[in-house]
Amino acid sequence: MKRLFFPLILFLLTILEGAALELLPSNLVMGNLMIVPHWVFAFLVYMAIFYDKDYTYYSIGYALLFGLLIDVVYTGVLGVYMFSYGLAIYIVHGLKKILQGNFYVVVLLGTVGVLLADLFIYLIYTSVGIVDMVFQDYTLGRMLPTILSNIVFILLLYPFCAKRLARWQWEQLSGKSTL
Amino acid sequence: MHFFRNKRLFILLIGFIVLVALIGFSLKDRENLTAVEKFVNDTVGWTQNVIHTPVTFITDIVTNVKDFKNTYEENQLLNEQLSQYKSLIYEVQDIKEENEELNDLLGITETVRDYDPIQATVVSRSPERWVEQVTINKGEQDGVRSNMIVITAEGMVGKIKSTSEFTSNVQLLTGFDQYNRISATISREERDIFGMIEGFDQESNSLLFRIIEESDKDLEEGELVVSSELGGEFPKGLAIGTVKEVVSDQYGLTRIAMVEPAADIYDLRNVIVVDRALTETEESNTEEEEE
Repeated sequence: MKRLFFPLILFLLTILEGAALELLPSNLVMGNLMIVPHWVFAFLVYMAIFYDKDYTYYSIGYALLFGLLIDVVYTGVLGVYMFSYGLAIYIVHGLKKILQGNFYVVVLLGTVGVLLADLFIYLIYTSVGIVDMVFQDYTLGRMLPTILSNIVFILLLYPFCAKRLARWQWEQLSGKSTL
Repeated sequence: MHFFRNKRLFILLIGFIVLVALIGFSLKDRENLTAVEKFVNDTVGWTQNVIHTPVTFITDIVTNVKDFKNTYEENQLLNEQLSQYKSLIYEVQDIKEENEELNDLLGITETVRDYDPIQATVVSRSPERWVEQVTINKGEQDGVRSNMIVITAEGMVGKIKSTSEFTSNVQLLTGFDQYNRISATISREERDIFGMIEGFDQESNSLLFRIIEESDKDLEEGELVVSSELGGEFPKGLAIGTVKEVVSDQYGLTRIAMVEPAADIYDLRNVIVVDRALTETEESNTEEEEE
């Protein structure tokens, strides 16, 4: 039953992303800095670190699924978020095998993950021709503010997610050797 | 171990092929969304409607508090302006009546200016800032079709990009490129200036209005750019923006006017989808009469 929580939470975050720009003050939105909420991705990072075991890949599956959902609902160009989120979460999942799951690792992997995901999105959009932006403008104008704002979100999630996800992992995944 | 490395590479390659296929599929000129996309859009749109209500409630409270601060000054300023408007209203009423009478004499019932408004509410805005897109809560069931113009009370904000049964996506003016143009005009006494709105310049925050037919060279700052009926899709006379500056294009052949959008594109709540009342057959008649 608790497995249903993941799709529900991720779905809710997807929808909140659509209202995110309304919640932020308008002078932030109107300025030259682009802040992109990757809230779904932030939760997926927690899933990859605390929920998934080394041999389970739930977080990557959800990354592909909800990446595609964001593509369909918000951009209309299919596959971009799906691929970027999937690959970035896969790398986070791989790095997590080396590191312990604690607070600092969450911040570190969250930063790396958001950086990679947003970079992949930029690379795909530029190669397709949707975006025409110099790399330096991109790093200062979009990448930095996006990483900073999403790190804030990741920090806000920590007290709600870390312990709970670890407990769910223990309840749902222990004792089973297969997917 | 060697086998696993290969498997990873294999999956990555397959993923890459799927990505290219999906992008290729979605970027080709397609008229309609697939049934799956429509279904997903409708489902998400319904939930967005539900979530949107408390969100607007909270943001409304915040803006209300901000508004209270300068209510008094605004009130005084508006009172002064109101007296000026009163005389203008009488004048407009007079002209409207006269226009109607003249139209009746000529037997014209529908003109290129007429449109049926479809009221809609914005339920979400794309978090991806490179794709300037909002979702509204009216779809094909309410008569919304692709390429219809979307306006607010102040002026044009965008056009319908894709429709589902109960929601549709609006491409905002700020996200325009050379693939979605709008024919526009600047009104003049003798011959109007015609051109196309071709894109949006992020740096100067203005629309690019390429002037195709210039009747006179002295385009002034602050002149109003309105939509033109010549595109065949939109009614005439919807405000787009005001001219900020006129520059020549990169080849020096045509001139481009930088146009500041009339509507506030960043704070959208209620919009109107413009359904042109005039049908195609009647269009040719009025064009002949104009000539």
